[in-house]
Amino acid sequence: MIQARILPWLIGVLTAVLIYLVFFVVPPAQGLGDYVRIAFFHIPMAWVSVLAFLMSAWWGARYLRRQEMEADRLSAASAKLGLVFVVLATLSGAIFSKLTWGAYWNWDPRQTTIFVLLLIYGAYLTLRAAMPEPRRRARVTAVYALFSFLTVPFLVFIIPRLYFSLHPSPVINGSGSLDMDPVMLGTLLAGLIDATLLYVWLVWRSVGRGDKEALS
Amino acid sequence: MITIKFEAVTQSFYGRTIFQDINAKLRSGTITAVTGQNGSGKSTLLKLAAHFMLPAAGRVSVVEDARELRREELRNRLAMVTPELRFYPRLTARENLAFLLGLRGIELTETKFQALLARVGLRDQAVATTVTGEFSTGMRQRLKLAALLAAEADIWLLDEPGANLDAAGRELVLREARQAADEGRLVLWATNDEREEAAADAAIHLAGH
Amino acid sequence: MQQSIWRGIKLVFCKELTIGMRFKAAWAAMFMFALTTLACVSMAMQGGAVEPRLLAALLWVSLFFAAMAGADRVFADEDTAGTLLTLHIFGPAQAVLLGKMLYTLFLLVLLALFITPLFLVLMDVAVAAPLVLLGTVLLGCFGIAAAGTLIAALTTGASVHSGLFSILMLPIILPVFLPAISLTAGAFGGGAVTVSYLGGMALYDFILLVGASILFDYLWYED
Repeated sequence: MIQARILPWLIGVLTAVLIYLVFFVVPPAQGLGDYVRIAFFHIPMAWVSVLAFLMSAWWGARYLRRQEMEADRLSAASAKLGLVFVVLATLSGAIFSKLTWGAYWNWDPRQTTIFVLLLIYGAYLTLRAAMPEPRRRARVTAVYALFSFLTVPFLVFIIPRLYFSLHPSPVINGSGSLDMDPVMLGTLLAGLIDATLLYVWLVWRSVGRGDKEALS
Repeated sequence: MITIKFEAVTQSFYGRTIFQDINAKLRSGTITAVTGQNGSGKSTLLKLAAHFMLPAAGRVSVVEDARELRREELRNRLAMVTPELRFYPRLTARENLAFLLGLRGIELTETKFQALLARVGLRDQAVATTVTGEFSTGMRQRLKLAALLAAEADIWLLDEPGANLDAAGRELVLREARQAADEGRLVLWATNDEREEAAADAAIHLAGH
Repeated sequence: MQQSIWRGIKLVFCKELTIGMRFKAAWAAMFMFALTTLACVSMAMQGGAVEPRLLAALLWVSLFFAAMAGADRVFADEDTAGTLLTLHIFGPAQAVLLGKMLYTLFLLVLLALFITPLFLVLMDVAVAAPLVLLGTVLLGCFGIAAAGTLIAALTTGASVHSGLFSILMLPIILPVFLPAISLTAGAFGGGAVTVSYLGGMALYDFILLVGASILFDYLWYED
């Protein structure tokens, strides 16, 4: 439980460093100007939305294999956080889009992907809310998490062919090379690590609280 | 030889304990009665034996010759009569039985069907061609017995099988259950009837909470 | 073993069909719903010239919602009739799933064969590539049947029913829906037809089928 106490401090420090880096160190980007600073929050949030989906499906599979309610609680906690992060990522993305391209929404491939993700989280949590019996709820939502995971190859490979993209692709570009300013790259990495730790801590916390509720 | 083992089994719904720490070992060739007042968890115990639900604590296993049966294997080996069992109301008795038995790979020939109806006392000719939605409760109960008899299952789970039956019907259930046990089947029988209880080889009493 | 699965699928399919034939209200409701949707779309457009892309979207929205009204019944009907436990006791998982899927596919294909020609007539659409349209509609129906049967099994026992099925279906069926609209637009003469999308749809349909088949075992045999 030592980690449980250290983790929030670590996240706090990292967040402070991140804010400092984003607002005082990172130079304005070519063409995007100061708006690029939004990206350092937007990209990590989008990353956690995807990670939370992956983990929710993973814990779902674990529940189906072992019938441990713990896995179900983790899966649910991950999905709830995922929904928060996906909403934040969508909003920050829409604002960034408005500022740089002039429209909040244009069904760019990654906007479509994140929107589908939003729908899946919404559907998953609606299903949870509609299932009164805990065991059946655990099983049914685990199956849904895994079934909806089948859309991933489509979201990654097919959607980009269907829609024309405006998204800047400095990190995930086709050539595999990283043509990014080292300061920017470092800041982005710090952001990703910070968001991931925040996710881990929040999932952990919400499950821990569930335990206490069960005991009392 | 099939054995159903209950090891320290506890079941609860929404935090309410139904029964606690049940230990029992049921064997092929015997009738085990499950007794207790309404709400003491007799039906729940049967569903646990069928692996239709998981216990809150403890373990339920079905073992055949030292090998534990998987859920899907067990499903294929058991037959059940419970009040919750329903036939397709828009299908006739024959269509219902042919469908359900067909799923188990058992073919229902006309002679077999007629013999079955006679055995459970559904002699009226119209029965075969009437949709079960128009059956009386007693007729449906007898049809459930017909499905049970024809399923050739090694495990019989009976939840108040005498319900809605007349004296002759109850007699029939007793006779068939005894014969099934003598043929080497495992019979688990939830009942409130003293005569049925007395006919069993062993009993599990659920005290209630 | 293989043979017994086929036998089981056939039994379940025939059972669904028999019950369906004796319960005509369900059929009538489904087809009337489709007709109503079509009439709404057609009247709203008032015979004005519509772009192929929009036409394609309208056709698929009509198909999707008509399908939603029919496909969610496969398990819900068993649940209301109380026969789900009976089927649980006697039916092996794969026979139940695939038999019901086949029946849903059959219903959806009938529905699509009813909606599509009517849509073409009412909206005065000239089809440039009829085979592409046919292939797209069939693959679309297959995808909806494959996903819909599993999702219908998920929603039994839910305290809220209306809408839940569609909410759960939409994200999963989008990968079928989006290329289907593209292809249909192409078939209506709006831009080139990318035939590889048909392959993509077929592949995704297959993934849905396999996924549903694997996951259904957990639903059917677990607690």
